[in-house]
Formats: sequence, structure tokens, C-alpha cells
Amino acid sequence: MNIIEVHGVSKQYSSHKALDNVSLEIPAGSVYGLLGPNGAGKTTLIRIINHITAPDSGQVLFDGHPLVAEDVVNIGYLPEERGLYKKMKVGDQALFFAKLKGLKTREAETQLRAWFEKFGISDWWNKKVEELSKGMAQKVQFIVTVLHRPKLLIFDEPFSGFDPINAELLKNEILQLRDEGATVIFSTHNMESVEALCDNFTLINRSRNILSGNVAEIRREMGKNHYRLSFQGDADKLIQTLGPSIRNYNMSAPEQTESGIIYNSEFTLNPDVTMHDFIQAANDTVEIVTFDRALPSMNEIFIRTVENYNNPAPFASAISNQ
Amino acid sequence: MNNLNIIIGREVKERVAKKSFIFTTLLTPLFMILLMALPSLIMLFSHGSKQKIVTIDKSELVLPALLKEAQDNELVAIVPAKSGATQQELIHDENYDGVLVIGPDIVSNPSNVTLYSRESSTMDVKDAVSSTVAEVVREQRMKKYNVEDIDRLLADSRVSVDIKEVRVDEEGNESDSSSTLAMALGFIMTFMLYTFLLLYGQMVMNSIIEEKNNRVLELMVSSVKPIQLMLGKIIGVGLVALIQIVVWAILVCAFVAMVMPLLIPADIATDMAAMQAGTFNAASSDVSTEMLTAISTFSNVGYLASIFGYLALFMVGGFLFYASIFAAIGASVDNAQDASNLTTFATIPIIFGLVFGMMAFQDPNSTAVIWMSMIPFTSPMVMIARIPFDIAQWQIWLSFAILIASFVGMAWFAGKVYRIGIFMYGKKPTVKDIIRWARYK
Repeated sequence: MNIIEVHGVSKQYSSHKALDNVSLEIPAGSVYGLLGPNGAGKTTLIRIINHITAPDSGQVLFDGHPLVAEDVVNIGYLPEERGLYKKMKVGDQALFFAKLKGLKTREAETQLRAWFEKFGISDWWNKKVEELSKGMAQKVQFIVTVLHRPKLLIFDEPFSGFDPINAELLKNEILQLRDEGATVIFSTHNMESVEALCDNFTLINRSRNILSGNVAEIRREMGKNHYRLSFQGDADKLIQTLGPSIRNYNMSAPEQTESGIIYNSEFTLNPDVTMHDFIQAANDTVEIVTFDRALPSMNEIFIRTVENYNNPAPFASAISNQ
Repeated sequence: MNNLNIIIGREVKERVAKKSFIFTTLLTPLFMILLMALPSLIMLFSHGSKQKIVTIDKSELVLPALLKEAQDNELVAIVPAKSGATQQELIHDENYDGVLVIGPDIVSNPSNVTLYSRESSTMDVKDAVSSTVAEVVREQRMKKYNVEDIDRLLADSRVSVDIKEVRVDEEGNESDSSSTLAMALGFIMTFMLYTFLLLYGQMVMNSIIEEKNNRVLELMVSSVKPIQLMLGKIIGVGLVALIQIVVWAILVCAFVAMVMPLLIPADIATDMAAMQAGTFNAASSDVSTEMLTAISTFSNVGYLASIFGYLALFMVGGFLFYASIFAAIGASVDNAQDASNLTTFATIPIIFGLVFGMMAFQDPNSTAVIWMSMIPFTSPMVMIARIPFDIAQWQIWLSFAILIASFVGMAWFAGKVYRIGIFMYGKKPTVKDIIRWARYK
């Protein structure tokens, strides 16, 4: 069951095409990463899912039916650029936003008090927002976003401005919300948090969806024929032996250890070379210390995919430059 | 709909609870009443500082009449010169503000009157002296003709003329009307409306700019449709303006109903009662008809309430219309500096409204003025300037209907601009950009 299905959505802003025939599916109950360089069209897509702007063409399905204005009560959206009314008291303001999401005053107040308690900010209730620090205000914004228990939560860079302790607190809250059945769309430039949190992702670049799928599968897929090898012996001879099957490699300086000189290397091989061939060749030439399939980080995948897309000609490897 | 109410509620609550709002709302009527009462207060306090004019009457004809005339005068006191005092002595006498010398041949040469004073004399002194001298000279000259019963004749011919204006409407109904009063009322209301439209219109604009700047809008649009946000802002601020007008109306009407009767002197109250009964005789009273009409109008609670009612009506209509324009401008720009160019699109028509409103005082029923009171940009100010002149009811309601219809059109346009504008940062938009936004899907 998909909570969101985007079918061929395009959006044009005068001379600039913000989205070009983008499609994606977001399974219910998962954490979904929405990635892409700045200005790629992520915010436009989020606004379309939020029913803030309408697409020029294409369709968005929410929970199986075409998205309508009433669906927004089932969505909680924490935008990247966000603010609160400076002169308003924190409690009043949180109540105001809760009521806009359809909660009754009394119900909203009980739940707000509970959240304030949980985040240790109960004594801010009667403070004005202008007295809070940026991180404090962001806690309030987070509470306001999740308070009405929406089916779909959209977080745009939720951790920016948080110290590591509060970021961890927030991360756990997000995962708990997912465990309770919510779907989370997570837009960020922090690729480590994508690896830690997301089940699936879509990479948007230059208004198009250039890569979509399961995080683990894609990493495996992209890590195919990509190996990490530590060995003792003649490095030059190894490279000579592997010869034409190497697409790309990276060799560290020899490292002096108790058991002798060790080389750490990374190899990307041509698609027709199997792992078996590689191990055999290596085993024949040098003494293998460790061997590993090198799963690329999301960071590598991001950079490699985007650069390949923008610059399709020769294989410009990001890995060899690391 | 529910969200709209929540937005309106916040706008009203946040503004009305401000100390500055409470102060201006309560203190302005006090200030207005003070301003209205100021002339009589000045008169009251200036009693002691009457200008003392010592008079040497060489003709010995004018002084008795002058003394009689000066009795009622608030500003001038006439003192006869002591016999034997010379003109030079009196001029240097610090006790007197001036010396009036009337020549012995005053009847044949009425210009032989000189007023010596250290400071330049006020118009009041000159007026009082010259009209009395003219009267005396005329009577003296008439007496030379030996007409029988001349004294009685002269007494009988002393009349003071006050024109009582009666306006007749198309159905032939008569109503008391004083054009000066209508002008004064129209002026106060036009000016109030002008100030309200500018102040509250810009309040809408600035508050949208602020919301856009601190990015609270980004959080809001995920729950509320942009058009609801904009309408909520406009209606909310409009309600605040309305609350202010209603509080003022109540305070002024309460003052008039309860305090005014205590302040009006007994003789004026009698005259007013006489005027209402239709038995008022201007000649027997020392208050002019004009003045009396003014006082009785200003102390008529029902009339004041109806005027405030019209003011509220056109304030709401005009505000809704102009606030839509201000909202579109506020949504389009990032800061107040960028807004200043675009604001002229709203402020210039409002100023025009004020100018045409002033024109309406000269001829409230001229074709140009009637048109200006129908066109929505100028209609609130011009119409409110015309209303005290007892214009036809259908014109008032037609003007109001056009105004509301124009608001709907303008709000539709502003909503389209707002929806796009609130997400536009950085580049300062041109009018062309704004019109293009309105066409986006």
C-alpha cells in the first residue's frame, strides 16, 4: 500500500521548469528520503504533495485517492525555512497551529502539555517566542508538526540547528512515529542520516527523478564489482595481473604493521568480471589480508549519480578521487 | 471556513489585546471631545484677559452705544476716558491695551476714528468698533430728517438677519440643514476614513511582509489555503478597525447623551427647545441659528449614531477593497523598502479620494463628484463627504454595493498574487511580474 503515488508530475515557473515528469511511490509506514542538490525541485514536489501548489500536469494520489485539500489534516509538514509569530506566547501559538489542523482546544492543550513535558520545555508555555533560541523554537515547531498524529509526516532538514543530543532525541521521536504507523518523508542533505533512517529514497536532480529505490538494494547494486582489499605483497604485480578487468582503483600508501607491509585498496571492476575471478586473481598474486564488498555510502551514490547525470560522457568516478 | 475563523480570531486577539490599541481607542475620543470643547474653553479662560480699550469720544454721541455693545463682547472692554486725561497720557498708560479716539465731526466724517495700540489690534476690536460707529452715525444722520417717532422707528429697524437653510429633497420633504455643519461633519469623517484606510491598510501589508520574512507563512500554508490566510488577515484587521470605530461611536454618543446636557447653558437649551418646536426667533436670541443648529445636531444622539453607522459602513467597504491591494503588495515583496514603490498604487487613489472629498463640499451633487462617489477607488471618502448633505439614499447604497463588488474582484486578484508571492524571495517584483503571477495555475 502506497500512501503517496506521484504520477508524471510537471510544474513550470515562467522560464524555469521546476519538475519534469516526476513519478515516485512512497510505501505506507516507511521512512522515505527525498534527496537532491539545491534547487533540484524537492521543495516544489513537497509543496505539491502538501496541496500548497498544484501541478501543471500529472497526478498525486494520497492513500489511494487523488489528493484533495482536505487531505492536509492528515499531513504534518515541517518546512526547511520556518518561523513562528515572535510576539505570541509559545503555548498560545502551539494551540493556534493545533486548531488549524483540526484539533479541539481542550484535546490540543492536553496533548501539547504532554509533548512539552516530554521535551522538557513545560516552563516555556507562557514565554514569548522572541525569548527562545533557534533550537528551542524548532522544538516547538516539531511538536506542532506531529501533534495531530498525521498519517504522513514531511520533514525538510529537521536536524539543522539542533545540537547532537537534541538531534538524537528528534531522530528517536521520528522513528517512534514511524513505528506507530506514520509514513515519513525526509528531505535532507545529510546522507549519513539517510543511511540511518530511510528505507527508500528518490534522488531528484535538475527537475527529474534520476534514481529511486530501496536504500539497501541500491547500495548493493551500486556496490556491485566494487571491492575493498587489504593485502601483503607486490601491488604493481596485482594491478598488472588484473589489468583490463579494472575499471577504476584506488591504492593507499603501504602501511607498516606488526605482520609486515599492508596495502589497502579499492577496486571497481568491469561488469563482466565476477567476484570469483577477482578473488582468484588476487589470491594468485598477493596474500589477501581482508576482502570485502565495498558498499558505497549514500554520499558516494549521491555524488556519483548526480555527476554522471550532469556529465554523462566519460565515467567520472568520485570514488577514485577520495 | 473553520480555519478562516481561527485565523481571524488570532488577528483580532493579538491586536486588540495590545496596550497601544487600548490606549488609542480610549484616548482618541477624549482628545476629540477636548478639541470640540476647546473654543468654548478658550473663551471661558480668556475672560480675564479682555482687551481694555480706553475711549475719548470728542463727539459725545458714540460712547453710550459703544458701551452697550461692549457689554456682551467677550473680547473687548470699552472704558470711558477720565475727563482731563490727554491722549498722550492714555497711550502710555500700561493699564490699557489701546486708545480709541472718536473725532468731534464723526457724523459728517465717519472715518475720523483712530485706534492707537501697542500691539496690533485684533479683528474683533476693529469689527466691534466700526459696526457700532456706523450704526450710531446712521441713526444720527436719520434723526436730522425730523421724522416723527424716529426713536421707535430706529429701534424697530434694528434687525439681525440669520438665514435659516431648509433643504427640500426630491419628494418635497423639508429638513433643517446647515451647509457649514454638513461641511464640518463631512470633513471630519472624510479625514477619519482617509486615516483609517491608510493606517489599517498598511497594517495589513506590513504584517504580511513580517509573516513572510520570519517564514511563519511556510508553516501556515501546510494547514491553511493561502486565500484563507489572506482573507483572514484582511477580515481580522478590518474587525479591529471596526471595533475601534464602534467604541468611539459609543463613547461619543454616551458623552453627548449624558454629559452634553449638563454643559449647554440654560438659555441655549431654551432656544434649542424653541427651535425644535418651531417657535424660535433669531432676533430675540444672542445665538445665531447656524450655531444653534450645530449644537442641536451635535447633541442629537440618534443623528450622531447614524453618521457613525455610515462611517463604519464605508470604512468596512473601503478597507476591504484597499486592504486587498495592500495584501497583494505585501505578499509580493520581502521588505518595507521594496514595498514603497508599489504602495503608491494604493496610497495615490486614497489621497485622490480625500481631494475629491474636499471637492464634494463645494457642490455635493455635481456630476464629477457623483461619479467619484461611485468609483470604488475614491468612493468611500467622497461618499462619506456627501452623506451629511442629505443626498439620495439610493446613491449611498449603490455606491456601497459597487464597493463590495469591487472588493470581491480585487480580493480574487490579490489572492492569486498572494498565493505565488509569499514563496517569492529575493528579486524585487515589477508590476508585470505580479500580473503574471495572477495568471499562474
